[in-house]
Amino acid sequence: MEPAPTPRPVPLVHDIPFWESVEQRDLKLQCCAECGLWRYPAGPICAECNSEESTWERVSGRGTILSWVVFHKTYLPAYPAPHSVIAVRLEEGPLLISNLEGPEPEGSWIGERVVLRYSTMPDGFVLPRFALDRSASPAPA
Amino acid sequence: MTRTRRATAIIGIGQTDWSGDWRRVRAGEKPADSVGYAARAFQDALRDSGIPKEDIDGLIVGPTTAYERMGEVLGLNVRWGGQADAVQSILQAQMAIEAGYAKVIALVYGNDQRSAGTQYGGPSAMGGQSFLSYVYHSPWGMTSQGALYALTLRRYQHERGLSEADMGQVAVAQRAWASMNEAAIQRKQITIDDYLQSRYVCEPLHVFDYCLVNDGGVALIIADADYAQRMRPDPVYILGTGRSDLNTGATSLEPRLTDYYLPAQQQAGASSYEMAGIGPDDMDVMLAYDSFSVHVPLALEGYGYCEVGDVAKFLTEKGIGPGGAMPVNTHGGHLSESYMQGWNHQLEAVRQLRGTAGDRQVAGAQTVHYTSDVAGKCMSVIYGR
Repeated sequence: MEPAPTPRPVPLVHDIPFWESVEQRDLKLQCCAECGLWRYPAGPICAECNSEESTWERVSGRGTILSWVVFHKTYLPAYPAPHSVIAVRLEEGPLLISNLEGPEPEGSWIGERVVLRYSTMPDGFVLPRFALDRSASPAPA
Repeated sequence: MTRTRRATAIIGIGQTDWSGDWRRVRAGEKPADSVGYAARAFQDALRDSGIPKEDIDGLIVGPTTAYERMGEVLGLNVRWGGQADAVQSILQAQMAIEAGYAKVIALVYGNDQRSAGTQYGGPSAMGGQSFLSYVYHSPWGMTSQGALYALTLRRYQHERGLSEADMGQVAVAQRAWASMNEAAIQRKQITIDDYLQSRYVCEPLHVFDYCLVNDGGVALIIADADYAQRMRPDPVYILGTGRSDLNTGATSLEPRLTDYYLPAQQQAGASSYEMAGIGPDDMDVMLAYDSFSVHVPLALEGYGYCEVGDVAKFLTEKGIGPGGAMPVNTHGGHLSESYMQGWNHQLEAVRQLRGTAGDRQVAGAQTVHYTSDVAGKCMSVIYGR
């Protein structure tokens, strides 16, 4: 049986370099060339200084879990319940919605340090995900 | 031009038979389509207002029906029109009337979301065209508007010290109100224990934290104050309105996960309080948009009903249900009465102020506050007699 397809990203022109960087397993986010503000999702101008110039910068991949949920209902065939989703605050500032792979924390997940992983889904689609960072001590929530 | 108090008023309210249609739809029937529900509600509102249809010179339709078709069906060739959600329709009607573009505006909403099988999550989730955040994170399996609020609630509970049982107060209180409302779809009372033992949909949200999904319609007739006073003994005036939006970072959920909409609620609240000349302490009834229970604690803090951080105490000690210090969503809201996307709250405001809310009537209600904060677009409407 064919694996359930991973839901594809909303096709947005400015996001193309983001998904290319994911496929190359070298995550980059858009950054304003004038004022340095991160833009996620990517966009045509800087919301802060209005500059149209931007660069794509590698991120450390280190972050902290801001919140998490567990789906007890299956909405998407690729994600049968129970399925968890995390919100991660990257060290650099941007907020990413993703998944936690591997061991899960006991009790609250908030404040747990995580590191970036690349995950190949059953249908071959590559996703940036996270795993607990065992080398780090828990951050203040 | 300064907007003034008591310049516009609601003079007619109408609705469809939500609980009857709920049963019919569950039995496999299709009582009406969205335009049909809206038309029935319009007829009801027109009867309630007692005005001749010819006096209507403005039309605002909800997001779920096409403007032109709605006007065609209702036979309304107006001099001012628009399409908007519930709270924006109220604000638009107020602006159009105060600016002189119309005198009497019909606001109509119909939605066949249950019988049409509208999906609020999954591969064909609605709303993605308007709110990128609803669909942007689906590659990671993040879908449904409930899940966005679940993510918000988890963080909010952590920061505010709000337990699961504290959170259950919302669903329990609104169900208690709904038990006194014959029009409500879910009227069987629940306890905190029932809440805690109910299933999760997207944890930490229980099934009781989710709005119903039902068919139906709502209509309102809003007019300028002179006309309203000539036509009815009991106009319900718009005393104050305010709006403030948080758009920065909306797709990555910043306003939900770090601010809980707070700065926008505070600003929208302040604008409306200033216009009305009254504040949260003066409100007899508070009606909060509640697609999910989470909206209620956020609104209680954001619109100044309690100090930021005190909402758990407010819910458990002061109380928002029957007999509580602050009656909130006295119709049962979207959780228990009907999910008319903010529209049914306006009907309740009018009933409480007319004194026709039956068993759930808040004695002598003079002021009602409606708050809405859909996706961080925060709006506040204060109604009075």
